[in-house]
Amino acid sequence: MGVIIEQFPLYVSGFLTTLRLVLIAGVLSIILGTIIAAFRVSPVPPLRLVGTGWVTVFRNTPLAVVLFATAFGLPEIGVNSSYFVFGVLGLVLYTSAFVCEAIRSGINSVSAGQAEAARAVGLTFGQSLSLIVLPQAFRTVIPPLGSVLIAMIKNSAIAGAFGIGGDLFANGVQLTSAQGYSAAGVLFGVMLGYLVLTIPGGILLGVLERKLAVAR
Amino acid sequence: MTRSSTPMIRMAAVDKHFGDLHVLRDINLEVDAGQVVVVLGPSGSGKSTLCRTINRLEPIDTGVIEVDGKELPEEGKALAGLRADVGMVFQSFNLFAHKTILENVTLAPIKVRRMPKGEAQTHGLALLERVGIANQKDKYPAQLSGGQQQRAAIARALAMKPKVMLFDEPTSALDPEMVQEVLDVMTTLAKEGMTMLVVTHEMGFARRAANRVVFMADGEIVEDASPDTFFSNPTSDRAKDFLGKILTH
Amino acid sequence: MRLSHFAKVAAVAAAAVLTATACGGQSPSLGSSGAAPSVAQGASFEAGTTMEKLNKAQALRLGTKFDQPLFGLKGLDGKPAGFDVEIAKIIAAKLGIPADKISYTEAPSAVREEVIEQDRVDMVVATYTINDKRKERITFAGPYYVAGQDLMVKSDNTTITGPESLKAANAKVCSVSGSTPSEKIKQYIDPANLTLFDVYSKCADALRTGQVDVVTTDNVILTGLIENSSGAFKLVNKKFTEEPYGIGVKKGDVKFCEFVNKTLKEAEADGSYKAAWDSTLAKVSPDVPPLPAAGTCS
Repeated sequence: MGVIIEQFPLYVSGFLTTLRLVLIAGVLSIILGTIIAAFRVSPVPPLRLVGTGWVTVFRNTPLAVVLFATAFGLPEIGVNSSYFVFGVLGLVLYTSAFVCEAIRSGINSVSAGQAEAARAVGLTFGQSLSLIVLPQAFRTVIPPLGSVLIAMIKNSAIAGAFGIGGDLFANGVQLTSAQGYSAAGVLFGVMLGYLVLTIPGGILLGVLERKLAVAR
Repeated sequence: MTRSSTPMIRMAAVDKHFGDLHVLRDINLEVDAGQVVVVLGPSGSGKSTLCRTINRLEPIDTGVIEVDGKELPEEGKALAGLRADVGMVFQSFNLFAHKTILENVTLAPIKVRRMPKGEAQTHGLALLERVGIANQKDKYPAQLSGGQQQRAAIARALAMKPKVMLFDEPTSALDPEMVQEVLDVMTTLAKEGMTMLVVTHEMGFARRAANRVVFMADGEIVEDASPDTFFSNPTSDRAKDFLGKILTH
Repeated sequence: MRLSHFAKVAAVAAAAVLTATACGGQSPSLGSSGAAPSVAQGASFEAGTTMEKLNKAQALRLGTKFDQPLFGLKGLDGKPAGFDVEIAKIIAAKLGIPADKISYTEAPSAVREEVIEQDRVDMVVATYTINDKRKERITFAGPYYVAGQDLMVKSDNTTITGPESLKAANAKVCSVSGSTPSEKIKQYIDPANLTLFDVYSKCADALRTGQVDVVTTDNVILTGLIENSSGAFKLVNKKFTEEPYGIGVKKGDVKFCEFVNKTLKEAEADGSYKAAWDSTLAKVSPDVPPLPAAGTCS
């Protein structure tokens, strides 16, 4: 366990890299997932088709394959960028499909009359979704959305293996092998790092859920 | 702008199916500006569907629907613009559950009419005053009684200064003791000259406030007459049968 | 139909291997047959030693790389082949164990100490650089070869001439996470420019698509990648470290370690070390290097 103290700066830098990765990917996933969910309930058939196709592809493809496609597929067709960007992209593509489905279930939980009334007073589809339906949907969506985001935090360890490096898990691997620390101690530290990310995240979501529930 | 020769609502040769069910059959109906038309009929006669086609909450298969001389556009910005001019009151109120009563009334004027917030609030409060629930303005819909919610819903529709108001069985979901307070508001509106199409089972309101009664059965308009004529002298068997059941009840 | 087709392919492959073996062990396919060292018959060992135990069991569990061209690369027959594997066969033969009694466990860089500590293998021969940190956990026999860290770039690259040129070129460098070269290179570059993958083949792909400018690791590994690149990559050929490859055994097993060192010495003398080289690494580096002086077993 001494490794956690000896190599504390490395843990901190790995933690910060992972934090940066999951913050960016989390925000983008929620935005993109919401847009895709809007596509899926939109009155325009081609948009619905895009939404359904998106979810079908990315929800049913292993994350490692999606990350492989972004990290190695995109450079193959001449798209060069940092592996951090590719990693974020892969995580966002994958996670957005799950966010979309969580939000869509929330949209379905809002009674149809709400959307009808919104349309009847002259709100456009976008306005009725963003002003009336989604704010009510987000409440029921918080618990499943929380699970999706916590899964994404853990999935970021896989993204780290696709060239990003320097994240919590990759630094752990570096310590065990190149520097020869024993795996048990190193990975205990890595696990602690992830728990520091996921547990407060879960608590925050719980608080948010209670707050929004009271506002009704 | 409305010339007296242009009806506020015009439906011509309108047909609609729900699958195999022919819910609207060759509907021809005109409602002039300032008129109050009450649509009666047994349940399943298509009267609610008729009401909902006028602002295209239900699309139609064939035929023409015009509001103030303009044909209903396809789903999109233009339709949203038209709906803003057509107020609608639902059976189940459908107030925005996450907004206060005042917010319910001011939301559309601010977002659709681009009215400044302060002005929308002043206007909204005046409307809540008119329907008698100004003291409830900061509550959420779930905290109000059914009658209060429906009056708030009427105020929400009026806030858009609509050219015409559609009422889709506005009192059917209410406890009996709350029916009157809603009908009172509607009667006042009718007296003030609002163009109204009201789907209801309230015969008293039809007699008191309507200029015309339209009787529907099996998706067809069977009779279209003044309230006096309709109630005292119905011509069709189906209307006689319907009235017999209602009035002896 | 499918089966009979497969059988035909298998037969052709087997024939090719046989032919190659007949031609004096210069198999281009690096077949596991190699230059089979003669198995010591009736060898006997001091009671209680690892040698005695292995000899009695007539089995050797080897940890090696499965993805390292020329050292340990899993072939179509499911068995790894390469210089590391040949070295292991020499040791097995001295223990009186024939090559087909060796069982292979993949030992990627990150878990080599673990597989020894957890007694999942009897020894690790896996391009395994001897260093002090690792010596805290295991014992190294050898070295049996001294590699050195070098750089690999695209064939048309002229700006990168050695590790000192990396910073000026702001070069993006790729290596494998958990490897010694990935630590070493950090003193030459901005850490943000270091990309780490789990295997070198991904680094090669990243170099090909321009995601990175340089791949760095031991020269022999790079040579294997260059061999497979059909002229796309080249070696900068400025070895800047000495990486003695050792054979990992259980911590403190001094007798086994000394046995391995003695075996290596004998292998150099009787030509089996040269044969191992000739059947594998000679392909990219024809001259057999001298066996490095053995370290102390502790």
